[in-house]
Amino acid sequence: MLKSVTESFANIIHGLKVGHLTDRVIQRSKRMILDTLGVGFLGTSTEVFHKVSQYSKIYSSNTSSMVWGQPDFRLPPSYAAFVNGVAIHSMDFDDTWHPATHPSGAVLPALTALLESLPQRAKFSGLDLLLAFNIGIEVQGRLMHFSKEASDIPKRFHPPSVVGTLGSAAAASKLLGLSLTECQEALAIAASFAGAPMANAATQTKPLHIGNAARHGTEAAFLAMLGLQGNKHILDLATGFGAFYTNYSTKVLPSLDSHSWLLDEQDVAFKRFPAHLATHWVAEAAAAVRRHLVLSDGALLPADHIENIVLRVPDVQYVNRPFPDSEHEARHSFQYVACTTLLDGDIAVPSFFKDQVSRPQVTELLRKTKLEHPSDNLPNFNTLYCEVSVTLKNGATFTECCNTFYGHWRNPLNQEDLEKKFRANATKVLPPNKMENLINTVKKLEDLEDCRVLTTLLKGSEETSKTSSM
Amino acid sequence: MTRHLPLSQKGRMQCGQSVTESFANIIHGLKVGHLTDRVIQRSKRMILDTLGVGFLGTSTEVFHKVSQYSKIYSSNTSSMVWGQPDFRLPPSYAAFVNGVAIHSMDFDDTWHPATHPSGAVLPALTALLESLPQRAKFSGLDLLLAFNIGIEVQGRLMHFSKEASDIPKRFHPPSVVGTLGSAAAASKLLGLSLTECQEALAIAASFAGAPMANAATQTKPLHIGNAARHGTEAAFLAMLGLQGNKHILDLATGFGAFYTNYSTKVLPSLDSHSWLLDEQDVAFKRFPAHLATHWVAEAAAAVRRHLVLSDGALLPADHIENIVLRVPDVQYVNRPFPDSEHEARHSFQYVACTTLLDGDIAVPSFFKDQVSRPQVTELLRKTKLEHPSDNLPNFNTLYCEVSVTLKNGATFTECCNTFYGHWRNPLNQEDLEKKFRANATKVLPPNKMENLINTVKKLEDLEDCRVLTTLLKGSEETSKTSSM
Repeated sequence: MLKSVTESFANIIHGLKVGHLTDRVIQRSKRMILDTLGVGFLGTSTEVFHKVSQYSKIYSSNTSSMVWGQPDFRLPPSYAAFVNGVAIHSMDFDDTWHPATHPSGAVLPALTALLESLPQRAKFSGLDLLLAFNIGIEVQGRLMHFSKEASDIPKRFHPPSVVGTLGSAAAASKLLGLSLTECQEALAIAASFAGAPMANAATQTKPLHIGNAARHGTEAAFLAMLGLQGNKHILDLATGFGAFYTNYSTKVLPSLDSHSWLLDEQDVAFKRFPAHLATHWVAEAAAAVRRHLVLSDGALLPADHIENIVLRVPDVQYVNRPFPDSEHEARHSFQYVACTTLLDGDIAVPSFFKDQVSRPQVTELLRKTKLEHPSDNLPNFNTLYCEVSVTLKNGATFTECCNTFYGHWRNPLNQEDLEKKFRANATKVLPPNKMENLINTVKKLEDLEDCRVLTTLLKGSEETSKTSSM
Repeated sequence: MTRHLPLSQKGRMQCGQSVTESFANIIHGLKVGHLTDRVIQRSKRMILDTLGVGFLGTSTEVFHKVSQYSKIYSSNTSSMVWGQPDFRLPPSYAAFVNGVAIHSMDFDDTWHPATHPSGAVLPALTALLESLPQRAKFSGLDLLLAFNIGIEVQGRLMHFSKEASDIPKRFHPPSVVGTLGSAAAASKLLGLSLTECQEALAIAASFAGAPMANAATQTKPLHIGNAARHGTEAAFLAMLGLQGNKHILDLATGFGAFYTNYSTKVLPSLDSHSWLLDEQDVAFKRFPAHLATHWVAEAAAAVRRHLVLSDGALLPADHIENIVLRVPDVQYVNRPFPDSEHEARHSFQYVACTTLLDGDIAVPSFFKDQVSRPQVTELLRKTKLEHPSDNLPNFNTLYCEVSVTLKNGATFTECCNTFYGHWRNPLNQEDLEKKFRANATKVLPPNKMENLINTVKKLEDLEDCRVLTTLLKGSEETSKTSSM
């Protein structure tokens, strides 16, 4: 019997069990969970996080969940999901997938919020969490396979706001144990919360796309639980989820028996510095060029000798910013990342602080920089490349090209570097012993009997929260 | 330092002002003195109608669900749910549930280009009015100004694409323009700065957009509830200094993302400001269903008069061979056999057959037991639609023709171009108030009802809006008898 696409999604969400998880999916998703927690902790120091927290704290409720790293700050679950989601995406430091979206930030904060808010007697194991998490990821990936344009770097709607909202709803539905019908309704309801335009990328509002995806997905699940109904064929219709795409072409999902995980086939990329993924190719190529220009890594760049800098990059308009004047713009600027890397030799979290963005030496290099868009360089995270050419005043030109940066799925961060990134991110928020504890807990998540062990570790600690002032 | 924006980010800036800036300028700069008499009159009618359908909507299942959801939230400032004196919620949630109530039965106003303008705006404003500190005082004119700014912004946005003029296909307009209209109105009432007004629009855009497929489902009312809620949130977030893309309305990657073709224009200056509502009134519905069905109902009622000897007589249904409805091609209102109240409200066929059968169509016509009546189903089986090529899916130009052919071969055809309640033939004040009374009666005692009618009637003279918001409470005796 021909099922609707939407039904097949509900079937998957409702029917998948812990036994369907593969080893590779477990390993990959644990890495995603760790990275997401870390960037979330770091993100609790940002201005955007501060603002959405100020907004959200007017709300209280009987059930509450915790804001990551802030032991005394509790919010209703959907708001905890919201602010934690904003923290995760606040610095554009969270994971990226192919087709393009930031999958984990829409899902994980919704799940931790729910875990805490559910009654004492409800017990969830690490595997339960992993299953719900992976369902949230899988749904996002499957949705993106319904349009060619989703494979490319987005132009109209910000994918987390589109697929992330539904992924969050799917994950929340799983954890809440919704019925098959309720799972389907949650997807339909979530679609009516989905969709935010690309133009707010590179602004302070962008992180809300993820925060809202987490929050609204949670809401959609709660509303479905209360019996609210939407269009049961939401994913089948061009007037449904297809509204977000110019070309939309669906396929019924395989049955449970033939289920395979997209994450098994296609890993995510983890970022090494907090900026748009496309800039990561540029940073590596720029670092390689720099080695031609200086005698040693620590030496100063002979900036005066540089005549011009050419970046051959894909045509991605919202990352083309010749003179960014905010941290959010700097995170979405090929030019800024190239010039900062050339100047400093490396690029990291502090490179995007406001005072760094406005440095005269950077501006000087920016003036010499231009972009070219080779026709074979498509705006697609699986195939793009970045070439950096620096020409000196004496005419010598040095060119390096990066096809696959370290952290891309073709060259994944090793476990040590992933944990290093986590520690660097979590250090202001977690004391050292808790940090190691959390790393180990996530490392063995599939063996964890009670997720409360995990959520307790997310609190941070009282001493740390006093020193890290908002 | 000079900004060097890539051309793609400049949008259409004339004299250095972007479209988005011109919106912020209007929102921030318009004053009570800019309101015209006609705009005041029209918007008071909209306010009254919206309150009434909102009160009625508090008896619906969808309202009940979103209330159950929302009441887990409490906060220091709270606002009231219309008609429920003891039910208070944080302002954005009050806006949310009241907005859902308003659109719960598809009974709220419709404009041209197509959207439901008032439901996204009014509940946000009443929620804010209540939640602001005691010392803040807003007059009826302040409310009217903020309300009209919320309406105006929606209209102006819809002028940026041809497709907005037609009945929508992809995104439900209230979720798109309504969210920004709500943000604009809230910004005005909150007294945000020019920059904050602009940011609120940008932030709101990231909450906008819900697909049409959820029309005719129980989720559709949330489009309005969310527009009200999220617009409020966007204004609050802007007040906290959150920033978005200042050129959100200029860009195809901004608000243009919601449209296939998007073409903007800078708004006129404050001095040359004119209100769209002045030029173009709304339509008020006489029964709770999609606007397009209102043409069908009138045509069907006219045909019925050929078939029966008097209005009260039974329709000789057995003698009917077939029923043809010549209507515009609007897929989501083409439902031959609706099986829920939400579907029935979006069905040319259901409205035609119910009107033929009963002689009239009103709120109770959509109750579940009515929808499933065998006599209706029998007529539905004989009904088909045709889509004449000259009948475009546009609320300004569409028509509906109903043809009933009897078994003896006689055919009776009537056509409706403009139904009573359409902007070309507006409900008179008496009928508008009658609709309000019928809607509000379960929720407000008679004296309060009259009080409210009169207060709204003279809203421009009201010194303190608290008089208005107090009347929205309903009363304790009434709320006990009207059980959820």
